Formats: sequence, structure tokens, C-alpha cells
Amino acid sequence: MASSLTVANLDAGYGAVRVLEDVSLRVGAGETVALLGTNGNGKSTLMKSVMGIVRPSAGSIAAEIDGTTYELVGRSTEDIVDLGIAFVPEGRRLFPKLTVSENLLLGAFRPTARTSIARNMDFCFETFPRLKERARQLAGSMSGGEQQMLALARALMSAPRMLLIDEPSVGLAPLLVSRTIDKIKELKTGYDLTVLMAEQNFTQAIRIADRGYVIVHGRIAFAGESAEALNNNDMIREFYLGA
Amino acid sequence: MSASLDLLINALVSGLLLGGFYAAVSIGIAIAFGMLDIVNIAHPAFILLGSYVAFIGNSVFGIDPILATLIALPAFYALGMLAYQVYYVAFERRDDQSLRGLSFFFGLLFITEVTLVLTFGVDYRLVKASYIGPSLNLGLFDLPLRLLVPFLVSMAMVVGLQLFLSHTFVGRAIQAVAQDQQALRLMAANPIKIKRIAFGLSIGTAALAGAFLIIIQPVEPSIGREYIGRVFAICVLGGLGSFPGMVIAAITLGVAESLTATFLGPSWAPAVAFGILLVTLAVRPSGILGR
Ligand SMILES: Nc1ncnc2c1ncn2[C@@H]1O[C@H](COP(=O)(O)OP(=O)(O)O)[C@@H](O)[C@H]1O
Ligand SMILES: [Mg+2]
Repeated sequence: MASSLTVANLDAGYGAVRVLEDVSLRVGAGETVALLGTNGNGKSTLMKSVMGIVRPSAGSIAAEIDGTTYELVGRSTEDIVDLGIAFVPEGRRLFPKLTVSENLLLGAFRPTARTSIARNMDFCFETFPRLKERARQLAGSMSGGEQQMLALARALMSAPRMLLIDEPSVGLAPLLVSRTIDKIKELKTGYDLTVLMAEQNFTQAIRIADRGYVIVHGRIAFAGESAEALNNNDMIREFYLGA
Repeated sequence: MSASLDLLINALVSGLLLGGFYAAVSIGIAIAFGMLDIVNIAHPAFILLGSYVAFIGNSVFGIDPILATLIALPAFYALGMLAYQVYYVAFERRDDQSLRGLSFFFGLLFITEVTLVLTFGVDYRLVKASYIGPSLNLGLFDLPLRLLVPFLVSMAMVVGLQLFLSHTFVGRAIQAVAQDQQALRLMAANPIKIKRIAFGLSIGTAALAGAFLIIIQPVEPSIGREYIGRVFAICVLGGLGSFPGMVIAAITLGVAESLTATFLGPSWAPAVAFGILLVTLAVRPSGILGR
């Protein structure tokens, strides 16, 4: 069933510092939407606002999960995840001193996810065979690429309906970036997810995105209704391609 | 058989059994300090509380001291949850855990001791049980039941808690909570709730350790202080957060103390114990089994 996200007129920041101003965006059911912007423009702040980590000062964030609509502003992070919205944060935030399989099992803490652990674990190991090989290794001892795989897999273990990913490409070698982006597409299709992905890497993000928003200084500067529209936009050319 | 070999074997055996008791005393700190980063120096006071619960159960109601603390276990668990909640609201939430948090637990230690003194006086108290006194003679050595029973129950408690930590969702969350509290929220777990449960368990173990203590030796309200240094030493030596490491460290310390007490005299025991700690940490800074 349908799961979508609607952010309306959102203001958010840190203490007296206002970062987001009047941000509105929508991620429709089954869509992959890219949130594009260079460093420091507010992508992470927007993601953290959706996840209840940053408290917005105005506006609303509505999530429709399997036909029921929930207002997310004011909810705790754990409640939001429990609704079925998983988040792969900046820096991955694995539990470095726990093993790969312990990290995955923690992903399934959500009561709804506990019944489907075996199936989800199989799916994760199928998608990321490397994780199966390393199941008993400490998460902190793995390479950056493997850690990003584990972060994605751990998020999937919560059996989410919607997935938010903050800069999956950060810190990865170019070849790994395109492989990670492909995997996100694979997961999205396999699990019928709705995806919002923040990225600086425009060319990679646009490969799998249906649509995208460009955020500049905490405001939505451009909403591209298709990958093509984004590709052909003058401002984006200026920003990313130096043209 | 020579007298000194006989002494050696008996010292080894009682050291091993004593180590089992040390493990019971330390496991609460292994949880609070090793897994939650809470420096609960009041833990020995909770252990003493357990001793007096065993004493009352035994002297007033005539029940076994260990059984008495098992009955009181839910109350200790609740007390632990309450103590954590107060600590959280007053200190941890304000990012103020280090020094003022320490003073909170010092206060708790002091209040508990004073309450025990006012209620029970400063006389030594002891309990009666069929296994206090007799020994199993196994030819080569004697197994004093007074030490054997606490050892066995203590090991059962450690194994039970280890299984809980590694095989349940809450248990795994307890292992994760000190590593990244925010990330735990992203697993749909409330870290404060997880810590409250863990601290409740930590104080629960103090009840049983208290029963063991009063089985092994008569107690008076300030006796717990003797254990503070030893207990933190065991947890650091074993490797923070590792139960198997903690048990190995507890038994190492028990055996070392018992051997020194037998061959050099009891006053050397603490020096040897901390000598072992320093040497181990010089070789392995993260402890015997620290990750
Ligand atoms: N914890 C914080 N406290 C104060 N300011 C912050 C914090 N995190 C980010 N900022 C500021 O908010 C702005 C947007 O940051 P961020 O949302 O991380 O951007 P992006 O993810 O697009 O790189 C930046 O100017 C940054 O300095
Ligand atoms: Mg960011």
C-alpha cells in the first residue's frame, strides 16, 4: 500500500541559527526522490527534521504509511522509525564494537520487524554477499564501502515502508559510489520502498531518481519534475557541472 | 603429600571459589560502568542492602538467605530503575554526568550506609544455612560449601545474563547503548528505557551478591567500601563490557589474593591484586577480553 511523505512550509535550525526556510517537498508513493545540494545547504538538517532529531520551529511533516497519515513533528525518533520510516544517517552510525550480525539484528528491534527477521536477513545477505562473509566480524573493522552496505542493510532489517538516506556516496571510491547507488535501486525495487536520498553527487543520484529538489541556503531553489528536467536546468549546470 | 603442596592446592581452590563471588559482586559494575558508562560507586551499598535483606529473611522468617534475595529481586530491579531515572533527570539529561553524577552516587552510598547503621546498628550480622560450615572432602582438597554454593549460583547468574544480553532484542540494545545512543533511536529503541532496564538488572545482581557476601562472612554496614576498588579493578582488568573477561579477571584476582594470603599474609593481598591489574593493562590496555 501507498507510503508517501509531505513536507510543508518547514522552518528549522539549531538554537538561534535558522537553517531551513519555508521548505516544502513531496515524495510520492513508490518514488525515489533526490535532495540535491552542495555542502552546508541544509540537506542533513531536512532529513534530521523528518526523523525527529531536529525540532522544526514551523511547518508540518506528514507521512502516509500504508494508508494512514501521521504528523511527524513532535514525535520522538524512535516512534518515527517504529511507524516504518528508516534512516541511514550521515556517517552511517553503526555500532562499531558489535558484530555485523548483531548490528543487523538491532535493525530488527522494531516489533513489527521481528516476525520477518529470517526473510529480511536472507534478502540482505543475498543483496550484499560480503556481509554474510563478514557476519561475525566487528562492524568497526570493515572498510568504508562495507560499512555503507551494512548501514543500508541494517535500515532494511526494520522492514520499513520508507527509506531516507543521507549522502550514501560520501567517503567512497568512485567505483563503489556507482555500485552503492545501484544497490539502493535494487533494494527500492525489491522492497517496494519510497525513497528520499540526499546527495551532492548529482550525476550518480540522478541515475536512479524519478525526480529531485535542489536546496540552496536552506530553501528549495528548484524542483525538477524528472531526471531530464534536472539535467537540463541552467542553475544545476552552473552548480554541478561548472558550465 | 607435603604440607605446602596441600596448602597450595587448597589456596587455589578457595581462590577460584572466591573468584566466583567476586564475579557476582562485579557483574553489576560490568553492566553499569562497562555498558552504560555510569560510574555507580554506590553499588557496594546496594550489595549491603542485599545482605541485610538476606539477614532479615533468614533471622526473622527462617528462609534461606539466597532465596530471600531472590524473592526481593523485583524490588531491587525497581529500585535500580528508580535510581537511574533520578540520575537521568538530574544529571545525565543535562550532559552533566561526570563529576556531579559521581557525587550523586557517593550520596546514595552514604545515605544507604547511614540508613543501615540506624536500622541495624554497627554490629556484625550473620545468617544460618545448612551449607555454612561443612566442607566436601575430595581427598586432595576440601570444598567449603559456604564458598561453593555462592560460586555456583553466581556462575548461573553470569551465564543467564550473558544469554539475555546476546539473545534478546533488549539485551543487544543494552550492549549498543553506550556506543551510539542516537543510532539506537534509529533502531526504534528508546535508549533511556534501555538504560533503565539495564540499571535495574545491575542493581538486581547486587541483591544476590549481598546474600553471597553474608554467607561468606559476617557483615556490618560499612564493609561494602572494601569492595569498591576491587570491583572496578576486576571490570577494567576483564575488559569493559565483557562478562567472560570479567569472570576470568575475578577468578584471577581471587586466586592471587588467596595465594598471597596463604603464603605472604593477608596484608599483601591488595598490593598483589593491583600489581596484576597494572601489569595486565600495560600489556593489554583494553583488558583481557576487551573489544
Ligand atoms: N549541529 C549543528 N549546530 C549548528 N549548526 C549546524 C549543525 N549542523 C549543521 N549546522 C549548520 O547548518 C547548515 C546546514 O547544514 P547541513 O544540514 O548539515 O547541510 P548539508 O547536509 O546540506 O551539508 C550549515 O551551515 C551548518 O553549518
Ligand atoms: Mg549533510
